[in-house]
Amino acid sequence: MTIEPLVSEARERLIARAKREGLVSVGYDVMDSPLGPLWIAVGPRGVLAIHYGAKPDPRDLARISRAYGPAVLPDRRSCDRVLTELDQYFAHRRRSFDLDVDLTPLTPFQRRVLAATALVPYGELTTYRQVARRAGNEQASRAAGGAIGSNPIPIVVPCHRVVASDGSLGGYSGGLPAKRRLLALERGEGQVPAGGWPPSQR
Amino acid sequence: MTFGELLERFEREIFAYVLRLSGNRLDADDLYQETFFAAFRSWPPPRAGNERAWLYRIATNKAIDRARRSRRVVPLADLRLAAPERDGVSLMDLRTAVRALPTGQRAAFVLRKVEGHSYAEVAEVLGCSEEAARSRVAEAMKKLKEAVR
Repeated sequence: MTIEPLVSEARERLIARAKREGLVSVGYDVMDSPLGPLWIAVGPRGVLAIHYGAKPDPRDLARISRAYGPAVLPDRRSCDRVLTELDQYFAHRRRSFDLDVDLTPLTPFQRRVLAATALVPYGELTTYRQVARRAGNEQASRAAGGAIGSNPIPIVVPCHRVVASDGSLGGYSGGLPAKRRLLALERGEGQVPAGGWPPSQR
Repeated sequence: MTFGELLERFEREIFAYVLRLSGNRLDADDLYQETFFAAFRSWPPPRAGNERAWLYRIATNKAIDRARRSRRVVPLADLRLAAPERDGVSLMDLRTAVRALPTGQRAAFVLRKVEGHSYAEVAEVLGCSEEAARSRVAEAMKKLKEAVR
């Protein structure tokens, strides 16, 4: 007999009690998505991280525990709503997310850039420069690129909709194949044209 | 390190350890809860990189406290009286004999002979000298041999 079921029952009891006693500040879970596993963390003010991979990014963990302490625990229930909305998004049944995101551990500039990124509509594209302008500093497109590149909540904050001015895809934390697949999904297309699409002018 | 990382990294082996110490799944579940709650409450671990020994120490102390509270330790003499005459020794006999050991000796025996920790690690978990750890294991072995003879 394996002890796995006993351990997972014990863990469930532990988490439930920790939550009752107000000891859990951030819950996380791993989602099996069409783009591979996604590590998701949700805190008291909303989604804190979506990371491509089954294990957390140490930078995410450091940022989260700086803001919320070490009480970061595996807890599917905290992540239920995010998982449901992501499932709907991947199944073409959702075009925008009805989720609070928690960007508090970031700098004010990073927050402004990501807030501007969040406004890019489903299926459309914009450039790093346009995002920088919306964030209040058109000259800071390189810095905006940095903030977008370290977006801790990809997909929900749709940094995959930001491309270079020449229409090339730029970079992506989940890798360029993931960026291509997200863009294709939003355009209802199977494939992204070679060289990418031209960015929208909005 | 966050508490979740600690839990995911060590919960399985700590559960296995307290299951061996207590001999039943209900007590093991309770000991698991008590161990991780105590770790949570006394966070952070005293020394980075030494979280494993810290958890084992908490688990061992919890098991000892529990055994003291419940006073369910069966005296060795009773065990031998209750045991029927036999030729071979079954695993059940050995398990019963292990459970009859005082918790400190049982922990030393399980850590060294079942889980294969070094004497230095056993000493660290039990908060005693390496020599004391050796003598507890030796004492436990002697009693077990007597019990199943």
